[in-house]
Amino acid sequence: MTAIRLYLNKVAFSGPDLDSWETLSGILDNDSPLGKAAEWDPSPAILSARSARRVTPQIRLALTVAEQLGDSLGSDAGWVFASSVGEGETLHVILEALRSPDMMIQPLRFQNAVHNAAAGQWSIAAGITGPMTSIAALDQTAGAGFLKAALQVSREERPVGLVVYDVPMPEPLNAKRPLGVPLGVGFSLSPTSSQDTFATIDTTLCREPPTRPSRLASKALETTGNPVSDFLPLLEVLSGVTTGQVVLGLHGGSALRLDVSAA
Amino acid sequence: MTANFDGRNASHIGITGYTLTSCVGTGRDAHLDAMAASRSGLTPCAYPDLPFDCYVGHVAGLETMQFPAGVSDFDNRANRLALSALQSDGFLEAAGKMRERWGADRCGVILGTSTSGIEKLESVYRARARNDDPLPDDYVMSHNDNHQAVAAFTQKYLGVSGPSYTISTACSSSAKALIDATQLIEAGFCDAVVVGGVDTLCLISLNGFEAMQLVSREPCRPCDAARNGLSIGEAAGFLIIERDHNDCIRLSGMGESSDGVSMSTPPKDGAGAAVAMRAALAGAGINPDQIGYVNLHGTATPTNDTAECAAVSNVFGSHTPASSLKGMLGHTLGAAGAVEAIMCIIALEENLIPGNTGLGELDPEISCNIVAHARPAELSHVVSNAFGFGGSNCALLFSQ
Repeated sequence: MTAIRLYLNKVAFSGPDLDSWETLSGILDNDSPLGKAAEWDPSPAILSARSARRVTPQIRLALTVAEQLGDSLGSDAGWVFASSVGEGETLHVILEALRSPDMMIQPLRFQNAVHNAAAGQWSIAAGITGPMTSIAALDQTAGAGFLKAALQVSREERPVGLVVYDVPMPEPLNAKRPLGVPLGVGFSLSPTSSQDTFATIDTTLCREPPTRPSRLASKALETTGNPVSDFLPLLEVLSGVTTGQVVLGLHGGSALRLDVSAA
Repeated sequence: MTANFDGRNASHIGITGYTLTSCVGTGRDAHLDAMAASRSGLTPCAYPDLPFDCYVGHVAGLETMQFPAGVSDFDNRANRLALSALQSDGFLEAAGKMRERWGADRCGVILGTSTSGIEKLESVYRARARNDDPLPDDYVMSHNDNHQAVAAFTQKYLGVSGPSYTISTACSSSAKALIDATQLIEAGFCDAVVVGGVDTLCLISLNGFEAMQLVSREPCRPCDAARNGLSIGEAAGFLIIERDHNDCIRLSGMGESSDGVSMSTPPKDGAGAAVAMRAALAGAGINPDQIGYVNLHGTATPTNDTAECAAVSNVFGSHTPASSLKGMLGHTLGAAGAVEAIMCIIALEENLIPGNTGLGELDPEISCNIVAHARPAELSHVVSNAFGFGGSNCALLFSQ
């Protein structure tokens, strides 16, 4: 198996009190602890206030990450959205509606109940006409998203925007699968080098245990249970743009080995 | 939008096995019979408590089938539906050979679904006495409603441990899964992939489409002048694709595009659908006039069929035979892409163009050559369309 070489042009990050990759990168680089975050609701600039009210926090978070990547990707780019639970809030609202005899579901709710609601809303808001996908792989959703993005970059020779996001679900779902805090990570990946490239990532399959985070802030985010935090070891390497190796778990026992080098 | 095939199918990926279950029955023979007779499997919906009448593609007997003890923690309707397919058509033997040939680590599982095992979560939610009651202790999300639950079951049941994930792009899910499966092999990350789609009937899908006023009160009639909505069905379909298999039917082209105007509405001219079909042709290096049959997504909603047929005429001209399988199987949502791909493979093997079951009077607005009843024809290349909410379009091209 030949490694897939990815050229990394941009990183996006969104979480409570962590509004950008630059903010998180500084915290990781200095190994600072995270402060106690205030209640936070992402608000992507691409949606009007009216449109934003009509979509869930899940969609707003995904669009916040996607728009951080947007200007680094041309119209030929593919987009991969990945989320372990997808539209948890909408799911809960619909499930509650099914408890009444008329089982009345709001049409808008139903349209936005699909796992690719965030991807669809991004394509509509940003006018994207290329391939988009939406994937899930339980606790290994971060690895699955990265794998699909790598496959698409190499097989279709196109840049890909990867958006991985998960938002805690309402009760009673939350008690079964607590995700702690909303987290979103994005990568702008390309098959060729450009002046924006700041790291290369050679991606292969392995069966090694996933890398655990080592910095104070990333260890704190790992304990939230949000599967997006699987990316923190990679983000630790990227924050210093140093050479390093990171293993990202996949569902079923295999894993991705990412060999990162500064460009 | 054109996938790079690196010399087109340089890995010689072929489809070495398949199986399916739907409302017309379990396994290839039941589906060939229904296809040859253009027979519908749609029946009046007997779903308890459903506050409206409709027809559905219901799979009988799932409740009473034996669920294997070793994987009993995965027991739900979606996994029963998957199991009924996996146990048919010699699929388990074929998967066993695949595993022996390549090793379990080299065999991936990529599935498409929109609702996974959510049917069980619905009943668990409804059984609670009060809105703020917790879910029962023994309910496990990862094995039931989570999108990956059916893929996780499939991996465990087949004993394979290569990369696995789930595509969930509404009604294009399992068509797109075939693209991912192919790319995994082309990139050398897998030697074989079990790929497919599973979706069951559930209250969310039934009531959701009803809320959008898209559910027909009669068996759906794609492309008919009086069509008035879809009939929802449930189905499971699985394929084995493997490298180094030149001699079988292959996925020779694939195309994807996005064209959402709103979450549920495509543009009237089917612009994105045409882009996806053209990309599939370009990827395969095949001219539009070499396509012997186009399997329409054809949901039987008034707007979607017209838009899709405009796109099909645009790409292939108005003579290429086309039909929708939804009048036979219902709209099997996230399973439709894989299940209808398998129907297209059967059509290629049998040199049989499927009919457009349920068609009475063709809508004069429909501009393509709709085949009302199944008929024999020499087929070398067929195209299968699957489109989903969010403007998610996928076209697959199969060749022999």
